[in-house]
Amino acid sequence: MKKSKQIELILLTALLSSYQTQQRDWEGSTNKTYIRSDSTAPYSRTHYYGGYYVFRPYGTYNNNRYNRVGYYSSAIHENSNIGTSAAKSGIVRGGFGESGFSVSS
Amino acid sequence: MQRVSIPARNNWQKAVEKLGFGFHTSSVPYWDESVYYSFSMAEIECIEKATAELWDLCLGAVQHVIDNNLYHQFHIPTTFIPLIEKSWNDDDPAIYGRFDLCYKNGELKLLEFNADTPTSLYEAGIVQWFWLQDFDKSKDQFNSIHEKLIAYWQYLIKYLHKDTLHFTCLRDTLEDLTNIEYLRDCAMQAGLETKLIYIDDIGWDESQKKFVDLENNPISNIFKLYPWEWLVKDAFGKNILEDVNDTFWIEPAWKMILSNKAILPVLWKLYPECPYLLPAYFEKDKLDSYVEKPILSREGANIKVVENEINLLETSGDYGDEGFIYQQLFKLPSFNNNYPVIGSWIIGQQPSGIGIRESANLITDNLSRFIPHLISE
Repeated sequence: MKKSKQIELILLTALLSSYQTQQRDWEGSTNKTYIRSDSTAPYSRTHYYGGYYVFRPYGTYNNNRYNRVGYYSSAIHENSNIGTSAAKSGIVRGGFGESGFSVSS
Repeated sequence: MQRVSIPARNNWQKAVEKLGFGFHTSSVPYWDESVYYSFSMAEIECIEKATAELWDLCLGAVQHVIDNNLYHQFHIPTTFIPLIEKSWNDDDPAIYGRFDLCYKNGELKLLEFNADTPTSLYEAGIVQWFWLQDFDKSKDQFNSIHEKLIAYWQYLIKYLHKDTLHFTCLRDTLEDLTNIEYLRDCAMQAGLETKLIYIDDIGWDESQKKFVDLENNPISNIFKLYPWEWLVKDAFGKNILEDVNDTFWIEPAWKMILSNKAILPVLWKLYPECPYLLPAYFEKDKLDSYVEKPILSREGANIKVVENEINLLETSGDYGDEGFIYQQLFKLPSFNNNYPVIGSWIIGQQPSGIGIRESANLITDNLSRFIPHLISE
């Protein structure tokens, strides 16, 4: 036989349910979003493209170009330090993922 | 090889969604079980043999590119050459790849090799396997993808840093997420500690010169469903070269050579006697009937099909800045105007199974369907 004898999955059977639930939660959520009270990361406008985001991004506009600065979310760990303030640990994010929207090939 | 029409399973959508397969239909059907392809065992063994041989030839071609400093033909940034050569000389292992093959009149030909971020793994390894269990579990299928993935993740443990293996992909694409969660599922079953992080959540700690996850823990090992040619162009691309953690990337950097269609003329130059290769060149004037392909592109974009110097078919897209190659035209077989491509998977350096994608014309694009298969004897 050239086929697998048996298949078991751990993650995938819950994936779709979770993905769809999170999309519905996002659309009508009453969950509190959490912003660190000491956040110095500036934002002027949030961006929501109608799809599911694990975290809601925020950013700035310069010359009509959106630059993502960081994220806020009710699920983010309190110790996570997101943003571009020099007073923070020097961790920046968003430097990967600019070049495409799906790798489908 | 035969194409057989059948009634789809009653409420098949629910059946595949129970497996976590949520992108079975977009604006057009993608998963199509109203038909299947049937192969003889002899045909499957031919595909298996060809896949093993092509993998060996590809490894030889990578060595040739490195030895002869042919990176300019691939438009690989020179700053990344040391990383490529280190990953090759260190024998950094590759998990997988998918050879796209055309099978017609007893001949099997390589169309291209998706060596870095091949998708449709879940459909090939899982969805069509469960379809066969329902359709006729007594039948065989060329599909040991699942077993081989788990086995190879176990084998890879000794290569990894003793730390979590992160998995990363683009957000907002269920197809990419499903593919990577399937790979992570197999890694977990192999006993690895894993974590998922979307690619734009990866952090760079400038003070310590290392990549970090959302809890600011260093990323020591990372599987990416994101191509090297995009990584090197992104803002963090240069940080890969400054990373003091020596993060272990899967697929390894040397895959940049194989995932680039410039490998096709290199293969043809090295192995013109190989029955599975089509003539391919960097120059346009060597062939009268050819397919023009950007050296970096996806899903059939920016392809031109020319027969006897006449344009037959052309697709649009955003690719082609890095240049093109020209491969001899070997038309896909037509099964009532349905044109199948055989995606033959190599997992852990072994042929492991096939998935068929079928389109309504000679170019396999983002409207192509995934069709299950079985072995008829």
